[in-house]
Amino acid sequence: MCNAFGIVNYEGPNVNVKGMEDYRPVSAFSFLGRYRLIDFPISNMSNSGVNHIKVFVKTNPRSLIEHLGTGRHYNINSKRGKLHILPAKNMDDVDFYNNDINSYMFNMQAIEDVNQPYVILAPAHMIYRQDFSNLLDAHIESGADITMLYQNVDNAKEAFINCDVLNLNKQKGVLSIEKNRGNSKSKTISLETYVMSKDLFISLVKKAANISSLYWFRDIVNEECSELDIRGVAHRGFVACVNDFKSYFNANIDLLDYDKAMDLFNSDWPIYTRTNDSCPTQYYSDVTVQNSMVSNGCIVEGDIANSVIGRGVVIKKGAVIKNSIILPGAIIGEDVHIENVVVDKKARIVRKKELIGHPDQPLYVKRNDKI
Amino acid sequence: MRQNNMLAMILAGGRGTRLYALTKKIAKPAVYFGGKYRIIDFPLSNCANSNINVVGVLTQYESVLLNSYAAAGQRWGLDAKDSGVYVLPPREKDGAAFDVYRGTADAISQNIDFIDQQNPEYVLILSGDHIYKMDYSKMLAHHKACDADATIAVLPVPMKEASRFGIMNTDETDRIVEFEEKPEKPKSNLASMGIYIFNWKQLRKMLVADMDDPNSNHDFGKDIIPAMLNENKRLYAYQFKGYWKDVGTVDSLWEANMDLLSSNNELDLNDPDWKIYTEDVATVPHFIGPKGKVNNAYINQGCVINGEINNSVLFTSVKVAEGAKVNDSVLMPNVEIGEGAIIHRAIIAEGVKVDAGAVVGSPDSENIELISKRVRGE
Repeated sequence: MCNAFGIVNYEGPNVNVKGMEDYRPVSAFSFLGRYRLIDFPISNMSNSGVNHIKVFVKTNPRSLIEHLGTGRHYNINSKRGKLHILPAKNMDDVDFYNNDINSYMFNMQAIEDVNQPYVILAPAHMIYRQDFSNLLDAHIESGADITMLYQNVDNAKEAFINCDVLNLNKQKGVLSIEKNRGNSKSKTISLETYVMSKDLFISLVKKAANISSLYWFRDIVNEECSELDIRGVAHRGFVACVNDFKSYFNANIDLLDYDKAMDLFNSDWPIYTRTNDSCPTQYYSDVTVQNSMVSNGCIVEGDIANSVIGRGVVIKKGAVIKNSIILPGAIIGEDVHIENVVVDKKARIVRKKELIGHPDQPLYVKRNDKI
Repeated sequence: MRQNNMLAMILAGGRGTRLYALTKKIAKPAVYFGGKYRIIDFPLSNCANSNINVVGVLTQYESVLLNSYAAAGQRWGLDAKDSGVYVLPPREKDGAAFDVYRGTADAISQNIDFIDQQNPEYVLILSGDHIYKMDYSKMLAHHKACDADATIAVLPVPMKEASRFGIMNTDETDRIVEFEEKPEKPKSNLASMGIYIFNWKQLRKMLVADMDDPNSNHDFGKDIIPAMLNENKRLYAYQFKGYWKDVGTVDSLWEANMDLLSSNNELDLNDPDWKIYTEDVATVPHFIGPKGKVNNAYINQGCVINGEINNSVLFTSVKVAEGAKVNDSVLMPNVEIGEGAIIHRAIIAEGVKVDAGAVVGSPDSENIELISKRVRGE
């Protein structure tokens, strides 16, 4: 058991995934064939003994709510534990008001009612494996007011654009939170994961709401850097950030490196998801499948290379799929050749025989689309 | 009992001796089938899909695993307020001598108190040994339409094989006029599938009489059905169409798995309207490595394939190393095949390691090799 409750926050304005986001929030994005992004923070929390988890749902919550269900599949105790869905404060007309502070304020009663003295905030668009109970222990031991998880990266020119960067002193104290503008390779990227006492969290939220109705939680933390003892803890291991379409594509493709995938998916640290009760995947004769992750329930009559195939995808005879992400339930018709494409759920590509994107600019096929 | 007033009882005590090592520590209904399932998932999923919400599972032989497996009713959606899977091994009762289940009918007789408590109008008796998809609610509708006392599901089998089965001889209205157990000269090819619907009140009377009969085998096929025919009860046959397989031997278990490889196989586990539910495991999708090859294969999540797979069924998290070849085989969960090892016509039991370079089975062997212990390399 862990003495903290968890909040899975929603992403800030720095995350914008064109196309896919029209159909569901980022946290409900399909990932690596059978997961949704939300599975990672919730599984991390559940495996860490965090038994009370609050999840914010923003726009288009249908797929997310269906996926979360009762939370039983996340191994959360069905009596003592809680998977609590909180509605985000949403003012559709004025998007810039839709910040996390307003949502925390909107749900303040539910947050104040929690018994656990500590809170762990984690987003869904940062994919990593982390034992939060270790992080909480480190936080308590250090005596810090806030502990933030960060990752040392050396590809900040291409990736993690507009993500928060922690400006750290030698003792790993956080001096300020900046934005990654892609101007240098090495950066300490914030994983937007915070540990603090519940009381401090509540007081910071209220303070932020008083200062400005446009503040995000990171803004108030940034402002308090000189007043509070805020420390960074380095995360080691695989991290992917889904903040735009390209990074979504890359995060999937990166995990086709099996060693990398096993760094994220450790057998002692299961990533739970909702089962679909699909049968194993059926491969026909004379197919070539290489370096690919394939989910259950697929029927494969064509060729696959360097791709991620979601549940229940049908790949017809003569089709060739290269370097692509096929979301669940899509159909790739006979002799269709696709390369560097993200095919959204239940799309059907039948007539158009060639769809070839550039690896730096993958194509996107809309959900339920017929091509 | 709200749904259709029918209670299902699954006979799951069978040992399955002809499956040898596979049933050394687990009962036959818990044996793996089809890449991710256990045999008992089929009757349980059929019940759930047929709107039956209370299921008794009668276990006996090596039942520890089976009991805990079946008791988790949420796997099949059998955990709503009025639903449940009741695991019923033999138990000591007040005022009765403690005994194991002496036969299929005795297993039900010993649970008369349980069934009375559920108070169903109909009782469906199933076997935990068979692979098939069936809508029991249609069978019940047939039972009601015939105003039957009992209905027996039958399957047409090839006439020359009919003498291996319990054969039902029927009149033109499907009424059963005669039952012959393994007849030398069969008069019909309608084989009993061991699936019965009874009106509970009548069956109860028959069972009570059967319990104290010293000459009875306490078996549905041998005793209860013949006795009902003798009393001129209304017994009807319900003809089943579709895939049905008794996987009682190593060869038939292998064959049934291989059946899944043919396109348009009759069992069609991919049917979204009749899913077979099973244990949910947390693994990544399966991964076919840069040097992996798959050709006619049925592969479950968690597998890591760097070798070559031909005509085979791979269960959860099987690992096949580079240069290894797996042909015409069934690899159960967590099997590991070492580099360059070659497998032909085999069933490899859960968790077994085949070392690098080892050779198992042969491409032209008549029988299927069952491997249940580690195979060392050359």
